[in-house]
Amino acid sequence: MLRTTLGKVLTGGSLSPKRVTAVVRAASSQTGKKPEQIEVFIDDIPVKVDPGTTVLQAAAMIGIEIPRFCYHERLAVAGNCRMCLVEVEKSPKPVAACAMPVMKGWRIKTDSEMTKKAREGIMEFLLINHPLDCPICDQGGECDLQDQSMAFGSDRSRFVDIDHTGKRAVEDKDLGPLIKTVMTRCIHCTRCIRFASEVAGVDDLGTTGRGNDMQIGTYVEKMFLSELSGNVIDLCPVGALTSKPYSFTARPWEIRKIDSIDVLDAVGSNIVVSSRTGEVMRIMPRVNEEINEEWIADKSRFSYDGLKRQRLITPMLRDNTGELKPVDWEAALLTVAKQIRNAGSSIGAVAGGFADAEVLVAVKDLLNYLGSEALCTEHTFPLDGSGTDLRSSYLLNNGIAGAEEADFVLLVGTNPRFEAPLLNSRLRKAYVHNELDVALIGPKVDLRYQYQHLGDSPSILQQLANGQHEVNKKLKAAKKPLIIVGSEVLARPDGSAILAAAQKLSASTSPEEQNWRVLNVLHKVASQVAALDIGYTPGVDRIRELNPKVLLLLGADDGAIEKSDLPNDSFIIYLGHHGDHGASIADAILPGVAYTEKQATYVNTEGRAQQTLVAVSPPGRARDDWKIIRALSELLGAKLPYDNLNEIRDRLEEVAPHLTKYGEAETANYFKQAQELSKGIKTQLDNSPFDVKLKELSDYFMTDSISRASPTMAKCVQAVLKQKQSKF
Amino acid sequence: MSYFGLDRFFTFLKTIKNYGGLKASLYKIYRMDSLRPGTLVGTDKFGNKYYENNAYFYGRNRWVEYAPQYGTDYDGSQVPAEWFGWLHYKTDYLPSQDAARPKYKWMMEHTQNLSGTPGQFMPYSTTQPKVQAWVPPKK
Amino acid sequence: MSSSLTKIFTLSRTGVRYVGPSINVLSQRSGSSNPKDGYIYVNDKQISMDWKDITDRAAHSMFVTELIRGFGVTLAHIFKEPATINYPFEKGPLSPRFRGEHALRRYPSGEERCIACKLCEAICPAQAITIEAEERADGSRRTTRYDIDMTKCIYCGFCQEACPVDAIVEGPNFEFSTETHEELLYNKEKLLNNGDKWESEIASNIHADHLYR
Repeated sequence: MLRTTLGKVLTGGSLSPKRVTAVVRAASSQTGKKPEQIEVFIDDIPVKVDPGTTVLQAAAMIGIEIPRFCYHERLAVAGNCRMCLVEVEKSPKPVAACAMPVMKGWRIKTDSEMTKKAREGIMEFLLINHPLDCPICDQGGECDLQDQSMAFGSDRSRFVDIDHTGKRAVEDKDLGPLIKTVMTRCIHCTRCIRFASEVAGVDDLGTTGRGNDMQIGTYVEKMFLSELSGNVIDLCPVGALTSKPYSFTARPWEIRKIDSIDVLDAVGSNIVVSSRTGEVMRIMPRVNEEINEEWIADKSRFSYDGLKRQRLITPMLRDNTGELKPVDWEAALLTVAKQIRNAGSSIGAVAGGFADAEVLVAVKDLLNYLGSEALCTEHTFPLDGSGTDLRSSYLLNNGIAGAEEADFVLLVGTNPRFEAPLLNSRLRKAYVHNELDVALIGPKVDLRYQYQHLGDSPSILQQLANGQHEVNKKLKAAKKPLIIVGSEVLARPDGSAILAAAQKLSASTSPEEQNWRVLNVLHKVASQVAALDIGYTPGVDRIRELNPKVLLLLGADDGAIEKSDLPNDSFIIYLGHHGDHGASIADAILPGVAYTEKQATYVNTEGRAQQTLVAVSPPGRARDDWKIIRALSELLGAKLPYDNLNEIRDRLEEVAPHLTKYGEAETANYFKQAQELSKGIKTQLDNSPFDVKLKELSDYFMTDSISRASPTMAKCVQAVLKQKQSKF
Repeated sequence: MSYFGLDRFFTFLKTIKNYGGLKASLYKIYRMDSLRPGTLVGTDKFGNKYYENNAYFYGRNRWVEYAPQYGTDYDGSQVPAEWFGWLHYKTDYLPSQDAARPKYKWMMEHTQNLSGTPGQFMPYSTTQPKVQAWVPPKK
Repeated sequence: MSSSLTKIFTLSRTGVRYVGPSINVLSQRSGSSNPKDGYIYVNDKQISMDWKDITDRAAHSMFVTELIRGFGVTLAHIFKEPATINYPFEKGPLSPRFRGEHALRRYPSGEERCIACKLCEAICPAQAITIEAEERADGSRRTTRYDIDMTKCIYCGFCQEACPVDAIVEGPNFEFSTETHEELLYNKEKLLNNGDKWESEIASNIHADHLYR
């Protein structure tokens, strides 16, 4: 895993402008002196650019788009498709705009005869070997080659080989259950190869052969398995790499695109849900520089078929024989209301990983009215010390984009590669371009970049906190250190001690910038931060103590609480969208909706409130979660004071104003105070080593009720297991 | 003879004779509203007979006599695909002469328009249901 | 007899010239426009007030000659060969390009042609076509749903023009009227059956037209 990437080698060590800007931003505080700008003329329009800017970027600055296939702004420059050829005055040959840095006083012509002829020529070369199978190609309608051959190609053909004797044919590769390959369509832009080695950190893809015999492949018979593999589908400008689950099902012109938020991990990636005839057809990333750039993880992208299986589509009640039988809403709500009324204040609620802020606040209001405070989240977090009172102790304070600038990262009991693949891609980016050093306490896992493994014993953390470890020097010397603590180790009985140690350690660092936040907590589920913000108690211990007569599960499917934990006569209500662990132990099932079917608020691990939007209508008789609670409250005589989304959002704002500031990360402070409070913690670190659940790729794919219901995710797990048996 | 129109009269008598006598001809007039002389050019497998008489103007010079089993329940859609083009003046080839008419084993028997009968087409979905519901585990 | 009948036929065609008095329309024209220009004056003309014309018009009204001429035309038509055709025994001429009931065709091997490219669905101006597709077990691209709402369809023929594999065609059949609305909501099976029934005629039509496309 070389840090010097292909791009650096190609550009002779000079950085690509994307990186130049990043480096300039980083370096600006140190030197403060910007290099002199140079002036060039593009189609006779003067533009001043920084030295090192390529022709293509200079043209983009004044809104002139130069066609390209291989160039991608987030990947190294390859310069091998030649589509971006432009004429430069006094240059005998056209130059490749993506790879050529501008020189002072250049006159670049993007619309001249020479440029047009060069483009037509390149297009002819590309189409010589490209099959004309657009009608059966999934890229049809969103294909760069289609669009650009219409825009820049020649309007007549010189291709006379109507028997197709000379077209290149390439064997398809098996890249696993997610990526479908039709390698004959490949135009060798090498975007997939560059993505795999630069972003995903998996050097499995590469080229073999030269000239007409060049092939993109995996060298040996190996699947391309990575948690970010789906992104090569978006990157591929033609139909060579397409999505296998989506294959042949829809066309880009007939799908409806809704901007939404991914909830399968706590990162809150921005996504576009494509739907057609009331069915989610695919999920694609949406650009958000602060969260996911333009990538998303495979679980976010491909587990949507889980939304069509194992769904709860009708209310159910357990009858006398102990079986769950479908009933109508009226009967279900009346029965549930009767049970709750009989229980009085002996009622509790457990929120699972998919609960949105609206239902969380509605349930909290209802239970508080009934006189209960037993509101818990399924995922535990230490309560001692400052507990969840100070937001800074449970947020990824420095933000996801902030991880890119760090120069030293200490990971405590977490595997960011699978708990938050996009955070890991940021760390990897910093590792590759920014000389980031990483150290890890916890099980030795493969993060796709090198790190210093300090061991998995809590005692190492103790040593660090006491300043007795060799890494302390590095931490102290670091200008932008980060400590990222996994929420999973904080769920241990000694979690509060771990958090206290991390707080102590972070206080010992000396970040250069005033608002650089060293301590970060990485959550695993999308609902946790909102639940803690609203005032839920983390962990189900309180439920176990209280033994409530009625328990409301808000999509709690991770088995934190079992039927055996409750008294025999207790009544369990499950409000959620999938028939999983929670539904099978429930006495009453109220079908809610999944994230693609509701407009709801989620807060990601950095404390950023974002909302999902309705892409498809709920299946069957399922209803919006908070509306079910609102209807129930009416039957209980405790009518909640909100009737529509705006009113419940007003209530959210009352509880925590940042919950409705969509898109903005509400930062938290009071690190010192939190650390002061943590000094009073009595809990001691125990000796059991740190562990994480998601160690390998096979653990990553099925973690929640949606991905467990997804056949594609099951195939992924099978593929990973099969790959393990392979000799490669 | 033709000056007095007697040729027409003899053609009329000959037509009656060709169609099998006065009674059959009367039935034919009852069924088809006309009795016209013509050459039988072919019969399809359902028994429909196809006639041609180019003395009539274009548009009336080809006609079909529906098979007797249809009685008075004849219908335009009882003409099979093979004879359709000839009857509609699209081609002058009889089905047996037309080389562009393929015969594949998957081709289906012609049916008349079955609307209003038990055999009528009723639409149904050819796809799987979009959402699979959860079935509670049996105890 | 024959010649007298012929006479009556001719009368029925040209009518007025023989029976009617010669009110010469041309002579009444107000003069300025000459038919040699290629223009004919079509507006109301000033009726002639010559003494002869006035008496002629009076005589026509008195002897109801218009009525008699009308009866004459009617009588003449009784002996005329009818201009209508006797459907369903006789049928009118159709072009090989006639756009009738839709059908989905098959390859000679019996494999369905449609590859679910959805171009017909995209081009359909009435949005009558609905297609759903997925990968078939053998990996080929096929439809699972191919519905045409024949009551929405405007029979423009864009679908068959858009089809890259000649799968969807508008066949020759126009005798598919139904008693209920829903019978016209065709699904994939119905369209394939149409293709199987009409392939002989569809193939012949495509052959007849192959030089022109």
